[in-house]
Amino acid sequence: MNSVIKFLFIILFAYFFQNCAPSRFVKPLAKKQQAASFTFGGPIIKFAGAPIPIPFTTLAYGYGITDNITGFGSLHTTSLLFGNLQSDIGATIKLFEKENKFGISASPAIQVAYNVRNQTGFRIWPSADINTYFHFKEKPSYLYAGVNSWFEFSKYKAHEQKQERHAIPNLHVGYTIVKQKWHHQFELSYLGIGIPNRPGVAEYIGISDKGALGFYYSIIRKF
Amino acid sequence: MRSIILILFSLFISSCLKLDSNLYNNDNTIKEYQLDNYTGVQDFVLDASYNVPSNLITLFSLQSQADGESNSTTIKALYIGDATKINTDTVILYCHGNKWHMDFYWQRAKLLAHTNGKNHYGVLMMDYRGFGLSEGKPTENGMYADVDACMKWLKGKGLTNDRLIIYGFSLGSSSATELTGNPRSLTPAKLILEAPFGSAAIMVQDASQLNMPADYFTDLKIDNAEEIKKVDQPFLWIHGNNDNFLNYKTHGQVVYNNYSGIYKEKYLVDGADHGEVPAKMGFTNYLKVLGSFIRKN
Repeated sequence: MNSVIKFLFIILFAYFFQNCAPSRFVKPLAKKQQAASFTFGGPIIKFAGAPIPIPFTTLAYGYGITDNITGFGSLHTTSLLFGNLQSDIGATIKLFEKENKFGISASPAIQVAYNVRNQTGFRIWPSADINTYFHFKEKPSYLYAGVNSWFEFSKYKAHEQKQERHAIPNLHVGYTIVKQKWHHQFELSYLGIGIPNRPGVAEYIGISDKGALGFYYSIIRKF
Repeated sequence: MRSIILILFSLFISSCLKLDSNLYNNDNTIKEYQLDNYTGVQDFVLDASYNVPSNLITLFSLQSQADGESNSTTIKALYIGDATKINTDTVILYCHGNKWHMDFYWQRAKLLAHTNGKNHYGVLMMDYRGFGLSEGKPTENGMYADVDACMKWLKGKGLTNDRLIIYGFSLGSSSATELTGNPRSLTPAKLILEAPFGSAAIMVQDASQLNMPADYFTDLKIDNAEEIKKVDQPFLWIHGNNDNFLNYKTHGQVVYNNYSGIYKEKYLVDGADHGEVPAKMGFTNYLKVLGSFIRKN
């Protein structure tokens, strides 16, 4: 395959790991605070001999419902290019916090996808994140780590084949640089823990041919 | 904000990016077919003992017209064997994969011409529209029409159903299965699939690990897993168990399991990736398996 064709193909084959986008909001926003983010990145593959993250993109919006709960919604813009409306809608809930030191949050969400062009294929997948975050020397920027999973409840897939995998678990660690209005979030993920990445067209950088490392960058504007 | 809305709206209305055309990895930039002189990348190159005399190679053009098309498309085909004896010979109709053009598959066609002996069977191979020197652009229906155009040509030369073996490799498995399950000009007597697609839906679900609809990415059907249910003729499935493009368990095995005709046989090739089956099996062994299947009553 020539490189352009191969790259487009890989986008399809990498889609499994695209399912696992980075954490939308690790820390809840303040009440009535809003934030918009743009995320770029995906699973890391070897392409033309060099490791690169698949450049999936997502737009997201969050709103502080209370000081402890932030509602969010996102739009997967790469999916949009294929005529699919894909969004995750959920909430980040503060479970515990020792102010400016560390805290724990959970983000249950539903992933919704629909083929707009053909008006078919409406699907919903639940997902959940649990994150813990740490502020060093009580600075606003913070380190975080967590787990995430998508869940597939269908018993069968195409041609009446049994749907064997019902969860796609991921681990992630990230750092958020907090400025006055703009935040920069860098996240390294291990996507699809324990899921074989071979056979496959995309040559993932995984661990013992399982899963894929992923890298994401998000720019977040609070207002 | 207005710019963002405009960009998103543009994405919506232009959201026709599909992987269909990427599945047809065709090259139509060549000026002529090189066959044995082709020096590009190939899955394997046979030694001189597999050479075919030039008087047994016929390169010709055919007119192909799919349902709903107002004009026909000129496609190129190649026959290995004595075309004047098609009325008595058995012919293997070879439907190649998604790569480039017939030069890439020439070694494979030549190898098939040695099944059960040198030039024992005729072999017909074509470039689907948009591939090699065939005109037009590749489409799923167009591809089926192109293979049927070859069947018409064979029928015109005196071939009968009982002497037609159809062989589909990779993408070509869709034409082979479709035209065996839903015969048009001829009804193949036997079906051979090497490293077949299961369906576009399986491709998407293998990639996503989720019960995700195929039309999120493609309008192609390539639904061998369903079409095989209409096939009653004897069926041979060959697949590498290290196929990194079409997983033998999720693609080939489903096709094989869904077949309920009169006879089926499978051959899994240890360590073979997509395109490596004949070489990993060994050419002699590969021809033996094919020859034995074709000779079975």
